[in-house]
Amino acid sequence: MTTRRTIIKQGALGAATLATSTAMPWRMLRAQAKPVKIAVIAPLSGPWARQGTLIKWGAETAANEINAGGGIKAMGGAKIELVLIDAGDSAEKAKNAAQRLIAQEPDVVAGMGAWLSTFTLAITEVTERAQLPWITLSYADSITDRGFKYVFQSSMPAGKQSVETLPTVLNLAKAATGKLPQSVGVIGDNTASPTAFLKPMREGGLQKAGLKVLFDETYTPPLSDATPLIQKVRSGRPEFLLWVSTTISDLKLGLEKMNEFRLAKGVVPVISNGAHLGMPEVLKNLPADLIEGLMYSVANHQVKGQDRINDAYGKHSGEPWITQDGLAGYGHTWIFKEALEKAGVADRVKLNEEIHKLDLTSGPAADSFPGGVKFDAAGRRTNAIVCIVQWQNGKPLTVYPTDRAMAAPKWPKTS
Amino acid sequence: MIGKRRAYLRQYAAIALFALAYLALGFAVRDAYYQLIMVQVLVWAVMGLGWNVLSGYSGMISFGHAAFFGLGAYTVTIAFVKFGITPWLGIPLGVVVGVIAGVLIGIPTFRLRGHYFALAMLAYPLAMLYVFEWMGYQEVSLPMKRENPVAYMQFADQRTYMVIAMLLAVACMVISMHVERSRFGRSLLAIKQNLPAAEAAGIDAARWRMYAMMLSAGMAAAAGGFYAVILLVVTPQTVFGALTSAQALIVALFGGVGVFWGPIIGSTILIPLAETLHAKLGDILPGIQGVVYGVAIIVIILVAPDGIYWKVRDRIMARRAPPAGAPRAAARPIAPATPIAWDTAASRSFGAPLLELQNVSRAFGGLRAVDEVTLSVPEGMIYGIIGPNGAGKTTLFNVLNGFLAANQGAMRLAGQEIGGLKPHEVCARGVGRTFQVVRSFPRMTVLENVVIGAFVGAKTDDEAERLAHAALARVGMTGGQVHMLAGGLTTKQLRLMELARALAPRPKLLLLDETLAGLGHDELEGILPIIRQVNREGVTIVIIEHTMHAMVKLADHFCVLDHGRLIASGKPADVVKNPAVIEAYLGKKWMDRAQDQVA
Repeated sequence: MTTRRTIIKQGALGAATLATSTAMPWRMLRAQAKPVKIAVIAPLSGPWARQGTLIKWGAETAANEINAGGGIKAMGGAKIELVLIDAGDSAEKAKNAAQRLIAQEPDVVAGMGAWLSTFTLAITEVTERAQLPWITLSYADSITDRGFKYVFQSSMPAGKQSVETLPTVLNLAKAATGKLPQSVGVIGDNTASPTAFLKPMREGGLQKAGLKVLFDETYTPPLSDATPLIQKVRSGRPEFLLWVSTTISDLKLGLEKMNEFRLAKGVVPVISNGAHLGMPEVLKNLPADLIEGLMYSVANHQVKGQDRINDAYGKHSGEPWITQDGLAGYGHTWIFKEALEKAGVADRVKLNEEIHKLDLTSGPAADSFPGGVKFDAAGRRTNAIVCIVQWQNGKPLTVYPTDRAMAAPKWPKTS
Repeated sequence: MIGKRRAYLRQYAAIALFALAYLALGFAVRDAYYQLIMVQVLVWAVMGLGWNVLSGYSGMISFGHAAFFGLGAYTVTIAFVKFGITPWLGIPLGVVVGVIAGVLIGIPTFRLRGHYFALAMLAYPLAMLYVFEWMGYQEVSLPMKRENPVAYMQFADQRTYMVIAMLLAVACMVISMHVERSRFGRSLLAIKQNLPAAEAAGIDAARWRMYAMMLSAGMAAAAGGFYAVILLVVTPQTVFGALTSAQALIVALFGGVGVFWGPIIGSTILIPLAETLHAKLGDILPGIQGVVYGVAIIVIILVAPDGIYWKVRDRIMARRAPPAGAPRAAARPIAPATPIAWDTAASRSFGAPLLELQNVSRAFGGLRAVDEVTLSVPEGMIYGIIGPNGAGKTTLFNVLNGFLAANQGAMRLAGQEIGGLKPHEVCARGVGRTFQVVRSFPRMTVLENVVIGAFVGAKTDDEAERLAHAALARVGMTGGQVHMLAGGLTTKQLRLMELARALAPRPKLLLLDETLAGLGHDELEGILPIIRQVNREGVTIVIIEHTMHAMVKLADHFCVLDHGRLIASGKPADVVKNPAVIEAYLGKKWMDRAQDQVA
């Protein structure tokens, strides 16, 4: 029965709701212990499904951890609920996925994805307009070049990775051998990522580092025969070889040929780039002894202090070790958790402000990203460090940054 | 003509109805996601319409329409990013770029036929993909304009995009409809169904094809340009990729080829289907959406190989058609318009030479198929060319009407050189021709077949239709049979239809290549008077024939070809007694005996 009292009560509640909702979204009122939805848009089908799945596993590992630990404390122990959406195999599908998320999941407060830069660019066009905080591991500089306010990039952007890789590798060589290398050979395939990565080096970066470029070769993948390329290595004998390839099979052909010419296993060290070089399945294509010594730069890889993360992730996914993609899914979820603790409400705009204010140097989020978690106004992680990973004894081990390295770099002593 | 106007109005009404219903649905749907899908449906429909204008109408299958789509997309993107040009101008600019690309691609590629054309088209977008990667346009995003977004075609509301996309789609539908129903579309259809026949009937295949390519490329570029605005990120892979070309092909094939409703139907079904499957199954059973989509396409192609539109239309037509056994106008026997009396005996007089050949030769490698032939056909004559098999008679016709180039010699029509002209140009100067094996446009009606032939002699489409009716009346085809499909005609009807097609533009000279072959005695008696009548009405006729007794009755003059050489020429009665002719037909051994008998 409706009494006068309840009417007054309802009226007061209504007025309060009205008052609050003009200031802040109505969602706040219902935040109590209601799960917090975080979106993961990742390619779960198509050619990038493997990478997308790794992100998903990482995010699930983190969500399980957070929920088991009592959820978001500032929000009455609200649990994290992941909304998984397949980005598919094209920018069109990825954009549709984002639009679907915005239209049909109004409770989502933040999201991550979607591995491929093209997808991320398309998705963030939608999420930015919906004021949805979005974190991505994608490398493209353009992602955080557009003046967007709700986009965060946890990886060092591609342009900077390219600039940072060379001096880092040279310093490693110097630390190991006592002197800086003097000569280099360059091989790259003509696809987007290697071309972009090698561009600043080709445009004077190598010369500026005091390196003599003995040869610079570009090819269209896939290779049918690596002999002409490796002949260049044999005759030129650079102190190291910069080979950036998007396909493992091309690298395999090259390394086999180098082995045949007795140039492999560190005789001429090979430096490369890309997260695909550290995936466990590389060993299915390349015997461990052939890839031994290969060094590559990557935005993120398992570092010292991540044993707990690695174990939990391994248990959840069955993967032998965690790579950039798993770390991103895991770390991004933890970043949202930290920011939600600060915000105390499931509100996109507030959450976005808090992510901008974060300065994490310890805890699972900071552990996931060497250099800690702090974003600049553009959404770039300010202290991002490029990781150098080296295959040693059948495992890709981080050898730089030195303080978080899993192993010491091995650089063959050149006479 | 009134019926025609009504047909146009009906189509306009259908298009308007579709557009309004679609927009009403789009505005009723609140969900921005569904609105986005509805916008994409229209983008791919426009792309499919573009593909259809070239490949659907002319039958030149293109696997490479992504080339134009991509150029449109990149024009919009680069104009925006580098020069700050709004997509409102960028899209028209993209269309211009697309049309130019269409011309540049068309010039070399139209030299190829069939599969080779399709494969060559496949190569263009793949090549462009690498070019744009090489130029450093791997990933270009259209900047967000926070101030004055409308000036840069940026709207918060998907429905605005839907209206723009619909305007684009309606424009392409209307253009396609006019193409379909005009000389343009009919010519393309004729080219698709029988290229040599179309050329001999005076259709400039190269020109129409190029127009189709330009129009088609422009539409695809518009779709691409608008797609860039929708997606806001352009990569070579998304706009030049093989999937983009395939999408155009799939929506058109699925919905119906060669009709503008086809791509609309295909896109309206397939794009939401693919997206729904992806949304519902993508995160549950990754990849299954592709399998379901593929199976759906396979099933439709098996059930309705020409697309849904045609399947449905055939069903409706079958229901409307009278039951089997009912008398049909088409079954009426063919009779000449007026009975004609034989007048072989009368010696006739002829005018000045209409067709003159001087030392015309054509060789295939070492074989001289036509060897220094010199002849002269006076105006008004029925000139018979006879000779054993392989004598070079048809080759001579092919040289005459421009299918083959002569290696040497001069050919004059009414004093003007016609050597080196293309078939449609020869036709335009008043030379009609029929073929040894009838070349019809099987999926057109008799009237449409003849209208195709009439275009060359008519300024307007209506005039062409009048000429066609007149020509059909001349050969005695009237009533219901003019609306029969050519594919269902008897040999005699086909011969008459082909004759009417050749007569439609009112030629001065008719080249008949074994028009009487394959006909029974009675059918022969039906056609001979028609040919005679046509001749009496002032058309000079050169006829190749094996049926000697018919030729003797018909021709005023004989010439005999053997091994490409002219071995005899004169009055029929004289020529058949010529020893060289008898030898050519029967061999030397029989010559003496035959000589005796003739004597």
